[in-house]
Amino acid sequence: MNGDREAFETLLVQYEKPVFNAAYRMLNSRDDARDVTQTVFLKVFENFDHYDPSRRFFSWIYRITLNESINWLGKSKRLEPLQYEAADEGKGPEQEVDSANLSENVQVALMSIKADYRTVIVLKHFLGCSYIEISEILEIPEKKVKSRLYSARQLLKDALIRTGVH
Amino acid sequence: MAIEQKYTDLINADIDGEISDGDKVALEAFLSENAEGRALHAELTGLCTSLDAVEPAEPPRHLRHVIMNSVNPPSPESAAPGMLPGLLAAPALRYAATFAAGVFLTLSLVSSDQISNRAFDDVTGLVGSVADPVNAELVNSVSVDESQIAGTVSLRRAGTMLILDFDLVSADPIEIEAGYTDPSIWFNGFAQLESSGTSVSAKSGRVTLGMQGKRRYAVYLHNEGGRQTTVNLQFKANGAIVHEASLDYEPTD
Repeated sequence: MNGDREAFETLLVQYEKPVFNAAYRMLNSRDDARDVTQTVFLKVFENFDHYDPSRRFFSWIYRITLNESINWLGKSKRLEPLQYEAADEGKGPEQEVDSANLSENVQVALMSIKADYRTVIVLKHFLGCSYIEISEILEIPEKKVKSRLYSARQLLKDALIRTGVH
Repeated sequence: MAIEQKYTDLINADIDGEISDGDKVALEAFLSENAEGRALHAELTGLCTSLDAVEPAEPPRHLRHVIMNSVNPPSPESAAPGMLPGLLAAPALRYAATFAAGVFLTLSLVSSDQISNRAFDDVTGLVGSVADPVNAELVNSVSVDESQIAGTVSLRRAGTMLILDFDLVSADPIEIEAGYTDPSIWFNGFAQLESSGTSVSAKSGRVTLGMQGKRRYAVYLHNEGGRQTTVNLQFKANGAIVHEASLDYEPTD
C-alpha cells in the first residue's frame, strides 16, 4: 500500500471513527485517543506489507488499536484506579440520565476495571464485534471471550451501581 | 446459590443475540423456574442497554487531515523522489527541503506594500536561516476545530526566524490573518507544501492568507532581537470571524 494514498484514505474514512472510539474508551482522554489513532494509522500504512490477507482487516486494525492503547496506558501510568464520583443521594436505579452523563459515567466505570476486561467491553459494545470476531481479534478461544465478557459485565455493573447509573 | 456457568453463558448469548433456537428453549425453561437467573438476565440486559446507548465519540475534525499529511509523500515538484523517506519523517525538514522553491513561488504570490525590502533582498540568507531545521524548535501550537476550518497552527523558532506552521483544511474559502504588534518583527517569507493556490499578502504587523482545501504552509517572520511577542490569529469565513487564537513566543535565553 505504500504510496497508495487513495486506498489508505478509504481505510481512514472507514476506520477513523471506530479506532478513535476504541482508543477513547480504553484511555479516557480525547487527546490520547487522537495520538493513538494517528499512531495506529501510521502503523497500518507502514506495515501493510505484513498484513495477512487471510485475516479480516478489521481484526488487524482493531488489534493494533487495542495494543497501542494498552501500551499507551503503560507509558502514561494511567493504571491507577480512578476515584469514583460519589453517587448523589437522590439518584436511584431508575433515574434517567442524559446521554452525556451516561457516557461519562460509563467511562468512569470502564476505567475502573482491568484493561483485559475493558477490552472485551469495548469490542462488544463500542465496536459491535461478535464473539467470534472478538476471538479473532484477541486471538483467544471463543469460550474464553464469553467468560471474560461475563466477568467484565459483572464488574462493570457493580461499578455503574456505585456511580448511580445502573 | 450461584448460577451454573452453562446458564450464565446462555444468558449472555441471549442478550447478545448469539443464542441458537435450541439453547433459547433451554434458557427459557431455566428462567421460568429460577428467580436468580431472571434477575441476572434483567440486570445484564439493563447494563447492555446502557452501554449500547452511549453515543460514539466524534474524532477531532482535523484528525483525518493530520493523518493523511503524516503519510503524505511530497508532490513531485516539492522534492526529489530520493528524498522521500527523510522528508516524510519531519515536517520541519520537509519545509527546509522545499523552502527555496517555496520562497521563489512566494515572490510571485506576495503582494506587499509595507514589507521591509530586507525581507527579499537576501533570499539566500533566508534559505540559509532555515536550512538547519533540526533546530526549528516548536514553541507553541494551537488546534482549530470549527466546521469551517480545522487543523493546527504551530509556532517554531529557528535562529532569528519565527515560523508559523499552518496545517489546515477547509471546505470553503477561508481568510487567515496573523497579526503581530512588535514593529521590529517583519514578514520574511512564505513556503507551502503539497498544494498550491494559497494566497498571501503582508502589511506592517499583519500577514493575510487565503486558502481552501487541504493546505500545509509556513509563514516566516524575522525576529531580529528574539523578542517576546504574540501572534494573534483570526480565521474568517465570508468575512466573519469563525475562530481566534494566539501564539506566544517567550525568549528562553
